[in-house]
Amino acid sequence: MKFIKDHLTFIFPMMAILLGIEFFLVFDRTTSSYEEGLREGYSMFIVADKELNLAEFQKLNPHISKSTPVTKDELAQEISQGISKSSSEKILQALPYFYNIKFDTYLHTSVLDSIKTSLETDERIKKVETFGNSYSASYTLFSFIKFALKAFVIFMSLVSLFLVVKQMEVWNYAHRERMQVMEIFGAPLMLRSGVLFKVATIDAVISTILTTTIFVMLKHKWAEESHLEILKQMQDLLFRPFDFFILLMTSLMIVIVSVYIVVFSTRESSQ
Amino acid sequence: MANNIVINASHLTLSYGDTEIIKDAAFSVKQGEFVFITGPSGSGKSTLLKSLYGQIKPTAGKLVVGGLDMRTINSNKLQELRTHLGIVFQDYKLINEWTVAKNVVLPLIIAGYSMDVQETQAKRLLKHVKLSDKYGAYPLELSGGEQQRVGVARAMSKNPFLMLADEPTGNLDEYSSNVIWDLMENACGQLKTTVLVVTHRIPSVFSIPYRHFIIENKGVYEVH
Ligand SMILES: Nc1ncnc2c1ncn2[C@@H]1O[C@H](COP(=O)(O)OP(=O)(O)OP(=O)(O)O)[C@@H](O)[C@H]1O
Ligand SMILES: [Mg+2]
Repeated sequence: MKFIKDHLTFIFPMMAILLGIEFFLVFDRTTSSYEEGLREGYSMFIVADKELNLAEFQKLNPHISKSTPVTKDELAQEISQGISKSSSEKILQALPYFYNIKFDTYLHTSVLDSIKTSLETDERIKKVETFGNSYSASYTLFSFIKFALKAFVIFMSLVSLFLVVKQMEVWNYAHRERMQVMEIFGAPLMLRSGVLFKVATIDAVISTILTTTIFVMLKHKWAEESHLEILKQMQDLLFRPFDFFILLMTSLMIVIVSVYIVVFSTRESSQ
Repeated sequence: MANNIVINASHLTLSYGDTEIIKDAAFSVKQGEFVFITGPSGSGKSTLLKSLYGQIKPTAGKLVVGGLDMRTINSNKLQELRTHLGIVFQDYKLINEWTVAKNVVLPLIIAGYSMDVQETQAKRLLKHVKLSDKYGAYPLELSGGEQQRVGVARAMSKNPFLMLADEPTGNLDEYSSNVIWDLMENACGQLKTTVLVVTHRIPSVFSIPYRHFIIENKGVYEVH
């Protein structure tokens, strides 16, 4: 019983750290596709006197990644219905050029505003239309959620790391006499702290496997059975095999660091 | 320094914080000598032994053990030196989760000897300390006297050049005490191990020549 408790008090905080990291990885992946979607869906509508190509737009602002001219033919056809051909051609010539421009990254509204202003100052451009409101709202919400999650994961990790070190201290206390005796007989650090490393490494691997299992279950069972369309769409992003290595490396790093913290803090000082 | 000098102290001062325990002491011990150290309680006998295996560093003067300056020794050298010492504690300091046999060969484990060697050595040593039947037992299943015999066997298992014992027979029965004194006499007489023993009572029957140091008023003096 005590044995199990001893290990759970290590495995749980370790899992909390790993879950936090994995959540973050998943969040990052899923939101980057969301970000992509927002970016793709957002464009500025430009009305210009002259014809402008992408390079010219990019000269005005390097964030512009794509410019699509809105073909005037369709417009002209609609207008020209019931009008004589010559006058429709006149109308067509009088019509300005229309462009849809897109950006290479998800930009803050203030940046977008300044882009808008700089575009408007160009004499060739007559009008710039943006769809600022919904964009700004979703951007603010989005960055707030991202920030909150980051802060939460960092805080959780710190608290958990503290718990991991505490548990190591408990183990260290249990093994202290042996380590001191071994030190007096000239055992190197690795031999002395070998037991700590062994126990902690095993628990770190167990934590990694449990965390992985939870996410694999989420991906293959929960996401599939749920009727949430968004989960199904993002199923592929939920857990990637490479994540296992990230988690394993992280947990082993934590083990090494905390064993050293504990071992060095209790060297001969207590003699 | 002559080759056969194992310990050399001059103007040696040992302190805890600002409190000087030993002050300006001088003595030297040659290879193969047997030294009894006596003195009143609290005079600094254990402190002196601790300085010899590097548990505390001299605050002034010089202390050389096995050719190494104990004031400037680095932790790697100290670790190395300790693998050539045999230390016996008054409170045994056995590893309670290990069997008696494994305890006895701790120095061999540290030195990386094979399991085979460990096993034969454990058997041989336990026979010496008359504990052959306790091979697989755990320290806490043994009496105090038996535990201390394990402690002495452990100290001798890798043929140390210097054996340091702090009241090894402190409160042991006569039988165990005799076994321990016999072993130490043999180690010194036959293997030429240098032995320093802190004790409050020098055994009345002792078959090899020995020296006697007294620690008193912060000094180390030899009784002739
Ligand atoms: N770790 C320590 N920190 C501070 N003072 C200490 C420490 N260890 C011992 N002392 C003090 O140093 C003095 C000498 O202690 P030491 O243990 O060497 O005496 P001793 O001669 O071995 O006594 P005993 O015969 O009772 O074992 C004592 O006054 C003791 O209180
Ligand atoms: Mg003492």
